[in-house]
Amino acid sequence: MLRDERLSQYALLIVALALVAAYLFPVYWMYVTALKTGNEITAWPPTFWPANPDFAAAEVWQRMQMATYLKNSAIIAVGVTVIVVVLGTGCGYALARVRSRWMDVVLFSILMMQVLPSSLMITPIFVAFSQVGLLDYPRSAVILAQAAKVLPFYVVLTRATFVQVPKELEEAALVDGNTRIGAFLSINVPLARNGILVAALLIFLQSLGEYVYSRSLIQNRALQPATVGLQSFMGPNTSDWQGVMTYAAIYVTPIILFFVLLQRQIVSGLTSGALK
Amino acid sequence: MTAQIEIENIDKHYGAYHALKNVDVRIPQGQFVALVGPSGCGKSTLLRTIAGLETITSGKIRIAGKDVSAAPPRARDLAMVFQSYALYPHKTVAGNMMYALRLKGMTRKQARARAEEIAQITGLDGLMDRYPRELSGGQRQRVAMGRAIVREPQAFLFDEPLSNLDAALRVHMRAEIRKLHDRIGATSVYVTHDQIEAMTMADHVVVMRAGVIEQQGAPLDLYDHPVNRFVAGFIGSPAMNFIPGQIAADGRHVVLDLPGAPRLTFDGRRPADEPVTVGLRPEHLVPGAGDNMLTLPVAVVERTGSSSYVLSDTTPPVMIAASDRLQGVERGDIQVTIKPSLVHLFSQTDDLALSAR
Repeated sequence: MLRDERLSQYALLIVALALVAAYLFPVYWMYVTALKTGNEITAWPPTFWPANPDFAAAEVWQRMQMATYLKNSAIIAVGVTVIVVVLGTGCGYALARVRSRWMDVVLFSILMMQVLPSSLMITPIFVAFSQVGLLDYPRSAVILAQAAKVLPFYVVLTRATFVQVPKELEEAALVDGNTRIGAFLSINVPLARNGILVAALLIFLQSLGEYVYSRSLIQNRALQPATVGLQSFMGPNTSDWQGVMTYAAIYVTPIILFFVLLQRQIVSGLTSGALK
Repeated sequence: MTAQIEIENIDKHYGAYHALKNVDVRIPQGQFVALVGPSGCGKSTLLRTIAGLETITSGKIRIAGKDVSAAPPRARDLAMVFQSYALYPHKTVAGNMMYALRLKGMTRKQARARAEEIAQITGLDGLMDRYPRELSGGQRQRVAMGRAIVREPQAFLFDEPLSNLDAALRVHMRAEIRKLHDRIGATSVYVTHDQIEAMTMADHVVVMRAGVIEQQGAPLDLYDHPVNRFVAGFIGSPAMNFIPGQIAADGRHVVLDLPGAPRLTFDGRRPADEPVTVGLRPEHLVPGAGDNMLTLPVAVVERTGSSSYVLSDTTPPVMIAASDRLQGVERGDIQVTIKPSLVHLFSQTDDLALSAR
């Protein structure tokens, strides 16, 4: 009986590992291809480990102007994160404090806003932005569009954190002589800090990988982010797979490292709202 | 004595719900006032309107002579101790105590010195750099008190501050809060559902029910002269016995609706044949034979050592509380006497006390 249990546990573990492997295979393939040279990439049967590992990071960085692309990505991601945190934190707090039977409806409609795919939204956004002349500042246009898209997600996440901050703490601060804004900034925000940080981090990473808006709104190559840049190297006649994969590896590795290092905080921030 | 907090005919509505109905209380400088009543009676709401955390629909609130009816909490200069203590979890004990002082514009150094001073009084010295989560329940309670005292406010507001403590600590803190009050002499408003807390701590007790003040006055005055059946039953432990009865033809006796229809003399005179509710406090029913005697069949005897409780085998049951051990009383009958002046009579129609005097 005990043996059966143990066997089934092992079986489940194997299934889980297999699923993880299948899921991570593209990442693995990206790194391996980045290390391969010329013929080995297209060789059949494929090799699972390069014969002569060669990581041409410096060369690819130079040739593909990665500095410019990554700088643009960073500008867009930082811009979006700042706008979303400044606007969304207060919103999440307000929604956490309002008690109403309609709150579920409100939250649902907020979430609905971000369900609409970017590729669907881009046409009206493009028309509207070109009418008000925003297309002359394409990176700002992308920041605005992307901020609008991810704001609901941030608001819903931070609301969950603020709900867990007891109302009495804020009332104690009011009685202690603070204003509502002061109480919010000195009591609620520090206590919701972890939740806010995690939500902001997710927004930042999501915006770092933004593609649809940037692709449509930014024509000038010097202003395009890394996602669009990467795509421009790919086409029906692409042969420089090593270059593309090296580019992708340089782009993605910091993000993956970030997640791995902070995964415990991120998970606890998402589940517990960071306050006990 | 000047009134420190004046509450004039305030009303509070939550939508259709009428939470406070024409509440009127005057609290003199330096008094300890308890707001007491069953849960949902509006006592916490009243406290929160004083603090400014709830708005009032109509009426006036004055603190130290200043009309603050519409003022935000920060303009009222009150300190509040919450039921959950509401300590700022991300601040140390010192940080919690200094928060209000810093908002008043004190420098960090001044605020710290002042906090250390209060920590001496409240027994928190040595804990100043701990966080609330590192403290025991009793210590947290002290921090909440210290955070209030350090402010030197116009008045203290307490919202059931002892209800999270265990029984022994509660009795201890009860005395400590009262001692602290006597020492500082600041006006205090204390909300509790526990009438013993109210009776033992307060100079002035306000009994509330369903948003209405039923009676207010000195604790023993409420005990001796309850104005209605609710206050009579709420104040005093164990609770007063209520027995239906009828005034006798002579207007000087009341005939209880119990087996054997015993008669009791009461002070004063009522119209003959008037139906009444007779209120008898368990501790006023003295075992033994004598004048104004009641004979009751015994159902249960409980002895705690210091006192004994007898429950009679009647409908409604009558509780007798005696301070001796009642040796020999097991079953059968028990005889008790009561002084005419301790018999309370209430109207059966509106539950108001019938002024027998």
